[in-house]
Amino acid sequence: MKNAKEEMPIREISLKDEGFPELLRAIKNPPSTMYYKGNLNLCDTPCLAVVGARKATPYGKWAAYHIAKRAAEHGVTIVSGMASGIDSCGHMGALDAGGNTIAVLGCGPDICYPRTNRDLMNRISRAGLILSEYPPGSPPLQGQFPARNRIISGLSYGVLVAEASLRSGSLITAGLALDQGREVFAVPGNIDSIYSIGTNKLIQDGAIPLADVDDILDLLGIREIRSSKKHRALLGEDEEIILQFVTDYGSVTLDRLCMISGKAPAAVGALVTILEMKGVVRTSMGKIHVAK
Amino acid sequence: MYSRILTGSIVGADAETVTVETDLSPGLPNVTIVGLPDISVREARERIRAALINAGYRFPSKRITVNLSPAGSRKEGTHFDLPIAIGVMAASGDINTEEAERYAFIGELSLDGRVNPVQGAIALAIGLRNRGVERLILPAGNKQEVSILKDLEIYPVEHIAEVEAHLSGFQPVMPYKGRPPKSPVGSTSTSEDFADVAGQECVKRALQVAAAAAHNILMVGPPGAGKTMMAHRLPGILPAMTYEESLEVTKIYSLAGQLPASDGLVTVRPFRSPHHTTSATALAGGGSKPKPGEVSLAHFGVLFLDEFPEFQRKALEALRQPLEDEEITISRTFATVTYPAKIMLVAAMNPCPCGYYGHSTQKCICSEHQILQYLSKISGPLADRIDMHIEIFPVPYEELIEGGENNCKRMNSMQMRSTVEAARSVQIDRYRKENISYNSQLTPSIMEKYCPLDRESKQLLKMAFKTYNLTARSAQKIVKLSRTMADLEELENISATHVAEAISYNRFFTMGNSYEKR
Repeated sequence: MKNAKEEMPIREISLKDEGFPELLRAIKNPPSTMYYKGNLNLCDTPCLAVVGARKATPYGKWAAYHIAKRAAEHGVTIVSGMASGIDSCGHMGALDAGGNTIAVLGCGPDICYPRTNRDLMNRISRAGLILSEYPPGSPPLQGQFPARNRIISGLSYGVLVAEASLRSGSLITAGLALDQGREVFAVPGNIDSIYSIGTNKLIQDGAIPLADVDDILDLLGIREIRSSKKHRALLGEDEEIILQFVTDYGSVTLDRLCMISGKAPAAVGALVTILEMKGVVRTSMGKIHVAK
Repeated sequence: MYSRILTGSIVGADAETVTVETDLSPGLPNVTIVGLPDISVREARERIRAALINAGYRFPSKRITVNLSPAGSRKEGTHFDLPIAIGVMAASGDINTEEAERYAFIGELSLDGRVNPVQGAIALAIGLRNRGVERLILPAGNKQEVSILKDLEIYPVEHIAEVEAHLSGFQPVMPYKGRPPKSPVGSTSTSEDFADVAGQECVKRALQVAAAAAHNILMVGPPGAGKTMMAHRLPGILPAMTYEESLEVTKIYSLAGQLPASDGLVTVRPFRSPHHTTSATALAGGGSKPKPGEVSLAHFGVLFLDEFPEFQRKALEALRQPLEDEEITISRTFATVTYPAKIMLVAAMNPCPCGYYGHSTQKCICSEHQILQYLSKISGPLADRIDMHIEIFPVPYEELIEGGENNCKRMNSMQMRSTVEAARSVQIDRYRKENISYNSQLTPSIMEKYCPLDRESKQLLKMAFKTYNLTARSAQKIVKLSRTMADLEELENISATHVAEAISYNRFFTMGNSYEKR
């Protein structure tokens, strides 16, 4: 086991060293020493932190994944904490775009926490950077996670909160980001969703809302590369009708779609599935939304 | 001083013939029963002695040896009382042996000579009939259940004296023809109608699809969404049982001792809903002397498992073999038996331990880890054997109201059932040459023959593979389901619409990852 990991040595850098990330050096209480695995130079590229709740809805995960992907496609490095939920989706978006990503851990850089993220951690250490202020072998202790949040925001120009309920740790990160003078972005959610109260409150308090996945590019001052082609042209007549209803209603249940379209459940079920596979709508928790 | 009397012995769900040989020889008065009798059979000698004496016959003071042949197989049950008693009477000359040999006997004796009903009478009768027995003398208490057999003459008796009178020709017992079954085969018991369910049209549709080909189905949703309510209405849309199906179900219920005394044939499709504390043995069948379990009692019907992940892991995994093979083999020290288990599994579960994950107003208090652990109680192989996974959510209040006002067409059970019946007969016709009757039984080898996909459908399936990370097994499930979809419309060819709908019933377990991977 040990030998296999030799390829990826864990290095150490101290605050006094020259290569220490400049942005991070500037914060109030920078870590005195950091341990890392991978390409440290990523810290000096433009970084965006993508954070959010561990227990997230498909909506939040979708937002984190796509925003991270979009940003990474345009050369932004995605920073996050490799927790389950939103964090993982952020990393995954960046990796899938072939972009860069940094995981800041709350335990030693050789420890995978949560363990279900083993694959993700391997991918990040190959293609990105794993960073921690805790020496190798440190177990994941509760108090260490809020502390590492200051590094996540410290490394980044801005912090995006994809989804957070009222007492989420990501709100701490957003607070730290403000103290450090970073931008805070938030993904708005339905106001009846308990998983979005935190982000909506952030917007109320002055965070910048994202109205579209591509907004992130404007906000970071990046010119959009138009590459993805829209599927819309490929839709059949019935599919257009259903899509129109979904667009009109925002989010709608299958039963309601049957009711307003006057079609049989069998037909509506089939059409929605086709639309979902074409990436035009999404279903989550029994409701159908327009996919952006 | 020797006699042979015919009776039967239960072996699993079947019965074999047993000859009771009785020999009286001079010596110290004694009764020995040989031929691997278990305790219930050995105790017969006390009952027989008392019954014969109290009924006014003599009990020979001789050395009595009773052999249950074939002597190598274990015998159990109290139905040996009557044949042994008749054997003793025949051997001592109280009864005409030749006359007695024309009949088979089953029955338990009471100490005053009355003949009590026994468990598994119908299974014994079917087994004996299949082995060439034409006339059966049996307890009057069992006459109703056995009278459903059309080609067996039965002579119900209430007292051992009646048997003696019948065999001596002094007062013959008339063969019992049985009254015509109260309810025609195939009536549905349930008074619950799908029309009572407001909204949830899409779930009703899914259940209709499931019923049309006995597809196993899993419903996932928060409490109060109506999972149990829907499941209970399912038997109402299942087609009528045929006579053969009825007979087989009756046999299993008789073996389990669960046949109501008044009823002959079980005419209503079984609907079994064991509690989630049920043990693996109770679910699968077993015990040191094997008895059919819930999975067999639900034969040709519905096995409904509410709170699916709350069942013991062992119990759930025990379902894997019967779901695949449509029968269950139980091996114990004393016997290895096979019970039929052709069931439609309907399972219901919450999306997380607290139940409210995904509920729009209630907060879920489970951690991500807890949710994963909860879902992982349904093992992959088990989930794979369930053709349809659907999500079900409480109907929002506005929709309840609107649904009523818009007088939107609520499907009722009658309509749903006639569609299901039509679809089933299409399938039975199609699979006449195969060894199966429904789409849910299709195996990969014959699937291509009966479920050809056009280009558009294949494309759709390919797309689903990518979007939802499907496995090869779920692709097969989708094809089977599409076939059912087409059969519901009585169409010969599967179209892309059918495939698309089928895909929508196979999303749930891939949901978690789909957004991250996309």
